[in-house]
Amino acid sequence: MSVLRQLNLKEHLLTAISYLIPIVCGAGFLIAIGMGFGGTSQEELIQGEFSFWDALATMGGVGLGLLPVVIATGISYSIAEKPGIAPGMIIGLTANTIGAGFIGGILGGFLSGYLVIALIKYLKVPQWAKGLMPTLIVPFFASIIGGLIMVYIIGIPVSAFTSLLTNALNSLGSSSLLVFGGVVGLLSGVDYGGPINKTVFAFVLTLQAEGINGPITALQLVNTATPIGFGLAYLFGKMFKKNIYTPVEKEAIKSAVPMGFVNIVEGVIPIVMNDILRCVAATAIGGAAGGAVSMWLGADATVPFGGVLMLPTMSNPWTGVAALVVNIIVTGFTLALLKKHKSEEQVELEEEIEEEDINLDDIKVY
Amino acid sequence: MKIVGVAACTVGIAHTYIAQEKLESAGKKAGHEISIETQGTIGIENELSSEQIEEADIIILATDVKVSGKERFEGKRTIQVSTEVAMKSPNKLIKKAEEVVTQQS
Repeated sequence: MSVLRQLNLKEHLLTAISYLIPIVCGAGFLIAIGMGFGGTSQEELIQGEFSFWDALATMGGVGLGLLPVVIATGISYSIAEKPGIAPGMIIGLTANTIGAGFIGGILGGFLSGYLVIALIKYLKVPQWAKGLMPTLIVPFFASIIGGLIMVYIIGIPVSAFTSLLTNALNSLGSSSLLVFGGVVGLLSGVDYGGPINKTVFAFVLTLQAEGINGPITALQLVNTATPIGFGLAYLFGKMFKKNIYTPVEKEAIKSAVPMGFVNIVEGVIPIVMNDILRCVAATAIGGAAGGAVSMWLGADATVPFGGVLMLPTMSNPWTGVAALVVNIIVTGFTLALLKKHKSEEQVELEEEIEEEDINLDDIKVY
Repeated sequence: MKIVGVAACTVGIAHTYIAQEKLESAGKKAGHEISIETQGTIGIENELSSEQIEEADIIILATDVKVSGKERFEGKRTIQVSTEVAMKSPNKLIKKAEEVVTQQS
């Protein structure tokens, strides 16, 4: 375990995802707008034979096609810094070419990064060849070793696994879809954009890179619905004659709800921190309901981020709306039901809250 | 005591800034001078100057992703946590930083 911690696999993956998100959003909207107006994403734009919308869709298509390369380069860079970029790109492109896709890109990125680190550490060259190290030796050897491993060893099983997974998910029946969507929704809700959410995100983003849009749509609709549900809970609370938020929390809600519409769930964190158990329960129950509805109805946004802006990219936007509405109402209602009434004096006292103890494993001192 | 640090999260739009705010207010409450640089998707904000880093007793890195310019902190006492820890337990984290500094001197 301690070796795994040392390697910091998750940090490298998250770093790469942080580079990936803006690319997926930019390209995702391009392809959605282009295809929405009847364009198609083409292999090649031949002068005079494409429309404006074809151009947009193609721009998006090439961007999304680069995802395995971006994730490989990002991971490799995170591990090995600048020398990691070149082999990361080459191995990522190789993963694309052999059909190993996004999963191949992830593996390739780690492979490339650690190869570069190992080469720099163990390959001793004479003084006169020092200049050749970053320009020739490291990129060449990392690429040839990593690339060949990708082509002859990892590539084939990974591409087989990828198509197996894709086929299995594409052929899920409606009851399995309900369960799958429920699980995605539940897991994405429980930590408000934290590590569990991001792990699920990495997984469903992988699926989207393989052309399965349902799971990521479910996840992001949950992230969108949660803060709005928290806002609705306030109104539900009023109906039950219950004051569920402190004045500070009410202020937080005012910015959390609009942020929620554009897919930023983190606005509710200050409120959640004050009452973790009840808030998480309401979020998880609402998320499970919303996720299940989303996947069951087949909401399929082509962009992995954007909140209500994702709706127009779906083949049937009403499916997304339905999932959002269900999620918002369930979360809002559950939260209003679970939260305790706050009287005036209590509101004053709430300011000083007990902090969670820090787990020593979570801290590194050096 | 002088504390400087960096906050950075995956999406780089929310956790980063919440962690910064929590740490800065917890640090000030405990009577320290504290400044946290944010490395969000928009880029680096509230950048630490080399004097600030030079004078700091301890560095707190509240990050989920790779930190840009980590070499600036070489040789300094550093605490590394996730943004999660900084958001959930900022006061305890500052206390921990105090312990580390006292142990060292």
